[in-house]
Amino acid sequence: MLPIILLSVFGIVLLFMGFLKSKVLLLPATLVFILAALATTFMDWGKTYLYFQNMLLTNNLAILFTTIVLLSAFMVVALSNSFIEDEQAQPAEYYALLLFSLVGAIMMISFENLIMLFVGVEILSVAMYVLAGSDKHSPRSNEAALKYFLMGAFATGIMLFGIALLYGATGTFVVSGIKSYVYTNAYGVSLLLYMGIILLLIGMLFKVSAAPFHFWTPDVYDGTPGLFTAFMSTVVKTAGFAALFRVLSVSFVGVYSFWWGTLAALTCLTLLIGNVTAVYQTSFKRMMAYSSISHAGYLLIGLTALGTQTKQALVFYSLAYSLATISAFGVLLVVSRQRQDTNGVNENFDAFNGLARQNPLLGFVMAVSMLSLAGIPLTAGFWGKFMIFTTAADKGIYWILVFAVLMSTVGIYYYFRVIIAMYFREGAAEPVKVAPFYRYVLIAATILTLVLGLAPGLLEGLV
Amino acid sequence: MQPTQQVSIPELIQQVPLNYYLIVSTALFVIGIIGVLTRRNAIIIFMSIELMLNAVNLLLIAFSSYRSDSAGQVFVFFIMAVAAAEVAVGLAIIVMIYRNIRSIDVGLLNKLKW
Amino acid sequence: MNASYLPSDYLPVLIQLGLALGFIITTMIVTHSIGPKRKSQKKDDPFECGIPVEGDARTPISIKYFLIAILFVLFDVEVIFLYPWAVNFKGLGVTGFIEMVLFMGLLLAGFYYIIRKGVLKWE
Repeated sequence: MLPIILLSVFGIVLLFMGFLKSKVLLLPATLVFILAALATTFMDWGKTYLYFQNMLLTNNLAILFTTIVLLSAFMVVALSNSFIEDEQAQPAEYYALLLFSLVGAIMMISFENLIMLFVGVEILSVAMYVLAGSDKHSPRSNEAALKYFLMGAFATGIMLFGIALLYGATGTFVVSGIKSYVYTNAYGVSLLLYMGIILLLIGMLFKVSAAPFHFWTPDVYDGTPGLFTAFMSTVVKTAGFAALFRVLSVSFVGVYSFWWGTLAALTCLTLLIGNVTAVYQTSFKRMMAYSSISHAGYLLIGLTALGTQTKQALVFYSLAYSLATISAFGVLLVVSRQRQDTNGVNENFDAFNGLARQNPLLGFVMAVSMLSLAGIPLTAGFWGKFMIFTTAADKGIYWILVFAVLMSTVGIYYYFRVIIAMYFREGAAEPVKVAPFYRYVLIAATILTLVLGLAPGLLEGLV
Repeated sequence: MQPTQQVSIPELIQQVPLNYYLIVSTALFVIGIIGVLTRRNAIIIFMSIELMLNAVNLLLIAFSSYRSDSAGQVFVFFIMAVAAAEVAVGLAIIVMIYRNIRSIDVGLLNKLKW
Repeated sequence: MNASYLPSDYLPVLIQLGLALGFIITTMIVTHSIGPKRKSQKKDDPFECGIPVEGDARTPISIKYFLIAILFVLFDVEVIFLYPWAVNFKGLGVTGFIEMVLFMGLLLAGFYYIIRKGVLKWE
């Protein structure tokens, strides 16, 4: 569990590095810190360990999720070179908060005690509230911060009440202790346990923005500065699903028949709302918010059809989703900054008009990421969806499968709007410039997406 | 010499049936939820959220002393400490908004709509 | 102790409630009826002596108070972790002491950061 300690210390170091005159060192230092944490994560590979008085448990699954989270954070930080030029920005504090929120994410991924789940959720969320409002003078950013904060704290309250009821029913906060309670009392499980499961699930579904608890997502994603939206929609979502998976697959697997029906209904609602509303958006960033809701729906299918394949499907899907989302936001950041209209940055679909002709590289990166999000073959997104759908088929829940396939065809429509704008519309003539390092990160993400699309077996057998 | 009939705190807590604690904290929790959903003032919404957290604390303490298990009380410590951090960040956000729009009515925040 | 109370056991509480309410109501009525009444501009001021009142109580207070208040809440509440440690000081031994030193060190690092940021500079 060295990464948690390292990231906390590095975060404090970064805060104090902010007092240095020059800001040049901050970005490379943060990248090195994240890489160091990533390297130490693998020290526990292949073993199962309990850490900190049985509070955290690491296994291969936790390590893989941690890797995805750290990789996403690495790419987001690498795309943040614009802070150096911005007079208003406080890069040292942003980076420190990002590292602190990674600590929270790792705790959410590898908790063994529900106390750690709560503390992890809070460390992640409190850092994100601040980052959502980091553009202090923009009313949109302010509004996003307040909405995120109020809704996040509300969700935490509901989750805590669920945990308290679970404690009342089982007398323990330990995940495996709850599991053994459920198995020993298979026929006389207390009503408190059922209430606790429902409230805990509501709280967690709030955090991963599943319908009908999604209503804050579009506003918050839209108002938050683009870079932090990318972080939110990848790291927070991956960590949230890792936590949901652990609690459902270990503690509550004994009462599967109780929760799977509700979860299946919420899954369908999430898919429907996410995909259908995304069609009507004019802002690309808002479309990505609804797209992230719909991807939460696909990931929920894996949890609804909980089985032996679920782990692998979740890992693959979150990796594919994170890669595609970060490269999409990376392109959006460059384009919106250089094609400003009267309202400041232009984050609408028409900002992408003719992009493929002026800058073929950016066009290609964006096209691959949209294809991957839509789930077109030869990209990682296709195999992610394939594995998720396989879990549902294995469990025999075919109606959800049919519905999900239908919804992903709706998804193709709005993802292709971007591609059409880039390749077939006439746009502004001035070329879009990209810094070299920025370009390498985007290229790396695209290559990874394509490699995983061509050889999905690379991750097989790891979990 | 202490009087002999002095009771310890867990015994004192256990003089009230567990169901009563459950009912009171559920009531507090529901009042908090209603406050969050109906009020327009950001500070009052925030106070309602704190009420929800305190309902949880009460419930955890009751369960903890009924089961003679200290884990519940440890959790309460964590909730209190984390809630303080949340208060600090939340109030800072509210002040930031007040500086920009001179009001904390959440109804005025409508720049972002679907 | 017996855990079941009869309704009659609550009678003292009722009597106490009645007495308290009665005392308040009586004193309010009596003072209003027997006291002399003189009205003047000076009398109606919130403060009879001292500086003239300006505006109402809703005037914004300097943001500095707010920052201090937030910091106070943070550092004040983190101290609750000292209580279990103090109660169990001997049992936790050297390990507990080292952990507490680490914890306080982190808090102090935050405090030093605040000072360097100039949050506590009053002027």
